[in-house]
Amino acid sequence: MWKRGRRHPGQLAPRLLAVAGAGLLAVLSLACGNDKDKVTLGLIVKRESNPFFVKIEDTAKDTAGDDNVKLLTAAGKSDIDNRTQVAALAKMTAEGAKGILITPANSSAIVPAIEKARRAGVNVIALDTPTRPRSAVNALYATDNFEAGDLIGRYAKAKAKADAIEPKIAMLDLAPGITSGQLRHDGFLKGFGIKDGDRRIVGSVNTLGETGRGEAGMKALLAKDPGINIVYTVNEQAAFGAAAALKAVGRSNDGVILVSVDGGCKAIKDYVRPGVIDATAQQYPENMAREGVKALAKAARGGPKPTGFLNTGLELITRDPVKGVPSEAVAFGVRNCWG
Amino acid sequence: MINRRFGYKAGVLAGLGLAAVGGLLFIPASGLLKFAPFLIALFVLAAGLSILETSANPFVIAMGPEESATQRLNLAQAFNPVGANIGVLLGAIVILPNLTPEAAKVIMSPAQLHDAQEHDLSLVLGPYLGIAAVLVLIWVLIALRKMPTPAEERQGEGEARTGALRRLWRNRHYRYGVAAQFFNVGAQVCAWSFTIQYARDVVGVPPGSAGWYLQASLLLFLVSRFVMTYLLGIFRPTKLLALMGALGVGLSLIGVFSQNKVGLLAVVGISVSLSLMFPTIYGVALRGLGEDTKFGAAGLVMAILGGALMPPIQGKVMDQSGAAFGYIIPAICLALVTCYALFDLRTHRNGGRLVAEGAH
Repeated sequence: MWKRGRRHPGQLAPRLLAVAGAGLLAVLSLACGNDKDKVTLGLIVKRESNPFFVKIEDTAKDTAGDDNVKLLTAAGKSDIDNRTQVAALAKMTAEGAKGILITPANSSAIVPAIEKARRAGVNVIALDTPTRPRSAVNALYATDNFEAGDLIGRYAKAKAKADAIEPKIAMLDLAPGITSGQLRHDGFLKGFGIKDGDRRIVGSVNTLGETGRGEAGMKALLAKDPGINIVYTVNEQAAFGAAAALKAVGRSNDGVILVSVDGGCKAIKDYVRPGVIDATAQQYPENMAREGVKALAKAARGGPKPTGFLNTGLELITRDPVKGVPSEAVAFGVRNCWG
Repeated sequence: MINRRFGYKAGVLAGLGLAAVGGLLFIPASGLLKFAPFLIALFVLAAGLSILETSANPFVIAMGPEESATQRLNLAQAFNPVGANIGVLLGAIVILPNLTPEAAKVIMSPAQLHDAQEHDLSLVLGPYLGIAAVLVLIWVLIALRKMPTPAEERQGEGEARTGALRRLWRNRHYRYGVAAQFFNVGAQVCAWSFTIQYARDVVGVPPGSAGWYLQASLLLFLVSRFVMTYLLGIFRPTKLLALMGALGVGLSLIGVFSQNKVGLLAVVGISVSLSLMFPTIYGVALRGLGEDTKFGAAGLVMAILGGALMPPIQGKVMDQSGAAFGYIIPAICLALVTCYALFDLRTHRNGGRLVAEGAH
């Protein structure tokens, strides 16, 4: 029987808890859910074993998951496998992809397949590596490689001045004709304030971005001039080789300014943190993937098509900052490294 | 003051109310997007929780028969680590994985950065509003409940207090115990406050996963406490305290020098050594104090000031030398706790009954 009159305060407790719980559930349900149309996009990388491309793929998948995107993925068998990428472009177009992200293995050979996809209404963004011609794709999302070289050039110059050393420079380059390597080389020279052929450059070698070739090249240059005290390396794999060659001839970390580009976790933790690599320009493959997925998803839902070039960012990571050259601490590099 | 004048219930309600206000102050703080308002909100929240704890412990003791007071207090305190674990869980699920990635901020325009900052702060706002809501609910439940409690007697208090302070100061076991408690709480807050930063800055653990290492730390603390309770029935408390102190020093030093996953696991493992320290130091320091136990207990509670003073020192060391080297501070603190245990093992004192047992 329901009795009128004042309820005991203790009886209010369960009711109050029930109301609070219902309110919490309502708030949570409003916070969940995604009202965007599902769209299909594609991602084609050079190969899945390279940590740089692993980071791109992982970030693309995460962003796709958050944005109600079905993401089709494919990878070549090697850095020069164009055939697999051509087949993947056709397959993804047939499967309804409205946009495709691609890291081209061959900048010119991939162009006909990309143009075919675009004629079918697919938007295409090149990541990391440009196509030849650049206009073959809607947009390029990549690191500004010239800026990367310039940053480490400026650092090397300032550090040499601070340490009062007379520069003797070794250049460990990529390979002839590869745009990214040439841009980094040119950027370094500009940042350091010198030109090709400067008397302060002891010599340059091509490393193909490999550790073994980096070590062999560095040994050859040290044989030419044992007093080399500044080493430019096109990427961190080459830097590992250079460090090994320097160690083999008994040169200490303090006596040589070694700079590089990439920002991978192994380099940051095992080389930059202890001071073997003095500074590296860290690039962000996750930004390429995240911005690429977002831009293509927006276009697929009726928004503007991606165009032009998006600079996906760089930071100089060093444990020994120098005046006049902006940089971030090693901890920043560790938090944002890849691989 | 509140407890003495208005009773424990009023003290509890004052603490709950002030803490709820602190939670609600996050609303204007997240609108202003400046550091100072957040600090004020945290200060008000923490002040309320301090009043709550100071009122709740004696309230729990006073609300029932004296013979079961310690049991009631231990039961109440047993919820502390549960709450701490839930708090960290909230951070690991609701906040950390949804923060704007740091790399994304590198290419943002100032307007985009502002929006990202607002978004990140809104993640923090939700849990604090939730806490405020729960505190208000508990406030209402307690306010509506009749809870008679006895008033405290205050005869000859002034004279007894002066005498007690002099006696306590002369008692080395007590004096050094307060210092040990200061450094123990300092080590505890330092170890936990910077676990996530160690995971991110030293090992490169992504933000979404870093919180789980702190969660593991707290779970380890909870489980170890039960194990230590069992072991305390077998071994002399200060022997175990010395062993755990030395373990804590070793693990902290591994964290300093092993800048990888091993170091991170060592940092997490420090919680094992911390688990028995507060109640053990509390009990050892108060042993044999007799009628001075009440004042002695107050002094030991004040030693938690270590938790406020040591973290900024570790922060300073980290700014200079990196997150890993910062763990030299807990190493030093735990070394001092170990010294207290060894001091107790090697010296004698007059026997005396332990009047009350605390927990943290």
